[in-house]
Amino acid sequence: MRLRGITKRYGAVVACDGVDLTLERGEIHGLLGENGAGKSTLMRILLGLETQDSGAIDRDGRAVTIAGPREAAALGISMVHQHFSLVDPLTVWENVALGRSGPVRRAAERAGVRAAAQRYGLAIDPDARVGTLSAGERQRVELLKCLRRDPTVLIMDEPTSVLTRSESAELFTVLRRVVAAEHRAVVLISHKLAEITTATDRVTVMRAGRVVLRRATTATTEAELAREMVGREVTLGAAVGVLPHATAPASPAASAQTALRLRGLTARPGLDDLCLTVHAGEIVGLYGAEGNGQKSLGDVLSGLTVPDAGTVEVAGASVDLRRPGALSAAGLGIVPEDRHHAGVVLDLSVAENLVMTRLGDVSGRVFIDRRRLRRRARALADEYGITAASLDSPLRDLSGGNQQRVVLARELSGRPRVLVAAQPSRGLDVGAVEDLYARLRRCASDGIAVLLISTELEEILALTTRIATIFRGRIVGELPTAQADGERLALLTGGVA
Amino acid sequence: MNTVAGDLETILSSGIRLAAPLAFAACGEYVAERAGTLNVSVEAMMLGAAFCSIAVAGLTGSATAGLLVGVLLGALVGSAHGALSHRWHVNSFVVGLLLNALVLGLTSYLATVGNPSRHQVELVSVPGLRDLPVLGAPLFVERWPVYLLLALVPLAWWLVERSRWGLELRAAGENPEAAHMTGIRVNLRRRQALLWCGALAGLGGAYLAVGEVGSFNQNMTAGRGYLVIAAVIFGGWRLGRTLAGCAVFGLADALRLALPALGHTVNSQLLISAPYLLALLAMLLFTTRQRRPGALAQPFRRTP
Repeated sequence: MRLRGITKRYGAVVACDGVDLTLERGEIHGLLGENGAGKSTLMRILLGLETQDSGAIDRDGRAVTIAGPREAAALGISMVHQHFSLVDPLTVWENVALGRSGPVRRAAERAGVRAAAQRYGLAIDPDARVGTLSAGERQRVELLKCLRRDPTVLIMDEPTSVLTRSESAELFTVLRRVVAAEHRAVVLISHKLAEITTATDRVTVMRAGRVVLRRATTATTEAELAREMVGREVTLGAAVGVLPHATAPASPAASAQTALRLRGLTARPGLDDLCLTVHAGEIVGLYGAEGNGQKSLGDVLSGLTVPDAGTVEVAGASVDLRRPGALSAAGLGIVPEDRHHAGVVLDLSVAENLVMTRLGDVSGRVFIDRRRLRRRARALADEYGITAASLDSPLRDLSGGNQQRVVLARELSGRPRVLVAAQPSRGLDVGAVEDLYARLRRCASDGIAVLLISTELEEILALTTRIATIFRGRIVGELPTAQADGERLALLTGGVA
Repeated sequence: MNTVAGDLETILSSGIRLAAPLAFAACGEYVAERAGTLNVSVEAMMLGAAFCSIAVAGLTGSATAGLLVGVLLGALVGSAHGALSHRWHVNSFVVGLLLNALVLGLTSYLATVGNPSRHQVELVSVPGLRDLPVLGAPLFVERWPVYLLLALVPLAWWLVERSRWGLELRAAGENPEAAHMTGIRVNLRRRQALLWCGALAGLGGAYLAVGEVGSFNQNMTAGRGYLVIAAVIFGGWRLGRTLAGCAVFGLADALRLALPALGHTVNSQLLISAPYLLALLAMLLFTTRQRRPGALAQPFRRTP
């Protein structure tokens, strides 16, 4: 499969600018780049979800046109999406069958799923409903769905962003098998350098819509890749997984004032008698494998769910969780896990999103003062380094990193006592992560209590002063970060306290 | 035969006859909703079909021809709705409400123009079984289209739950983006579901006219289409419960008709509203969102 001179413009923005890419059978090809570098656009073109403005696509030397997902599938191009393309209420085998054609033979489909699962070592029950599965299991289903179509080119878009370490390792083993034994081509899109260097044969780095590096993986280094991806020397090694530890944190004793106290929080399903305290000026990491109640906790702390039992105290005062906006009024800011779902309104302008939670500041009794709104938004955008063509453009047009900065800016503009950040670096590129970490550290040194909910071990180790581990909705262990290592945490998150 | 059993038999048989049009339409609406369209135009499909079936029966002298044309007209309304809302992306509710108003106006006008005669399809009774006590007459002496339900109900279920078409249709109703990425033509499936819905709702309407009543009167469906929508919703998007709901509505209607004959005097205007009150109550008590199609009433448009 060969892409030649692919160009795609969205208005004034050039997403892909004359990109060439050659995919060989029997090879894992890493596609690396920051958010907005054009990797996703390129793949969407290959899948027929977008049409290129210019450029051509060849398959085995013959030019092809890909008008839609059906044509792409017919050409043997299949993608495991970052945001899954599974239908929750359907069962596993039904989802796999969806990608195929011909009459639905239940027994045969089930057996096919079971056989493929066994061949690739992806344990899954064909009759389970997809909605009940964990993120890792869903990804297995997605992968099976693609493989059952017998693709020549398999595209994996950020496959490990929702996986635990062992799940990631398992995935790469499967991919290697797919490539070596079945002679398919795999494209691995990622911004995690460690993944690219360990799992791929060849790597292409994109920056601002162009290919800036193309090389065999063995002939390059993580440092070189990071430099090419960002376009400058990177100080932090977030992507390399060797983040420097937080500089000596303010000693807890100096600011031992309790800012956030969760007492016996129970919300079924998800939280089971969860207790946790965060002091002013410290960053506490809540670490655990995906699906152990982190999402429920995030929902409770954003006020989306009223817990069945338990209290949330901010600065010693209990918050009435039934009242909308009570948490925000009490001084709790939250960067939610899924910002599209609960953090921002994509179709409102950047400025409107920035002031959304504090409309009182920019409006009179009835009318919104547009001028004050713009002035305030401008100030926040400058302070938090939000780059947008215009503050009036819809938030949808911003990159993931900038959207996250908007959320952070808005939450911090309320001068909260407590900041909850749930999986804040998910989907962000190295540059944006670097910036985010610096800001979280600054929050703590300004005396804000920060609760970092994360599944990324490096992130937890790099940022926090104390770690609490969560398993099945309970805190099962708590220890200072200085005493933590991967092995000990792995034990704690396995529920063996 | 004692009077209680006699009354029961009367109510039961008129209940089944009144439930049948609802059941036909429900088999259609169920499919449309599983595909993601909260189809409001069932009323238009039923009413238009009721009128057409009588008109065509008058022209041809064949009630069966009327019934068939009723089915076609329902399908026509369904495809118009489908094209407007799932091809040109006009809001589906607005399309449905306008179609309802349009058909109500047109049929009311046309009904005053012509002078249609009475036409009715034949009664069929099942020998042997019709002599059963109480249940015999209500279940086994019917206008023949009622027996179509025996085939159509399993067919509707099989199409949705077992066929590839149904699988794709459910995917389109639950998560159109995922379905599209998989290569399913979401809006095509939704249009097809509406076409099926139109045909069955048309059958229901036509049955009401040429099957039960034998003539057409202004607004003769009187909101039955809306009852069908309610039945699908509080049936939790499951065919069995939906049909049970239709049966309850039919029985309530029959009870209303039978009360005066049984010697109870209740204000008849008030009684007419009974099934609708019942529908509201049922919605309040039984509605669960659990099985609600994830993308019900959400239009799907491919991002350019």
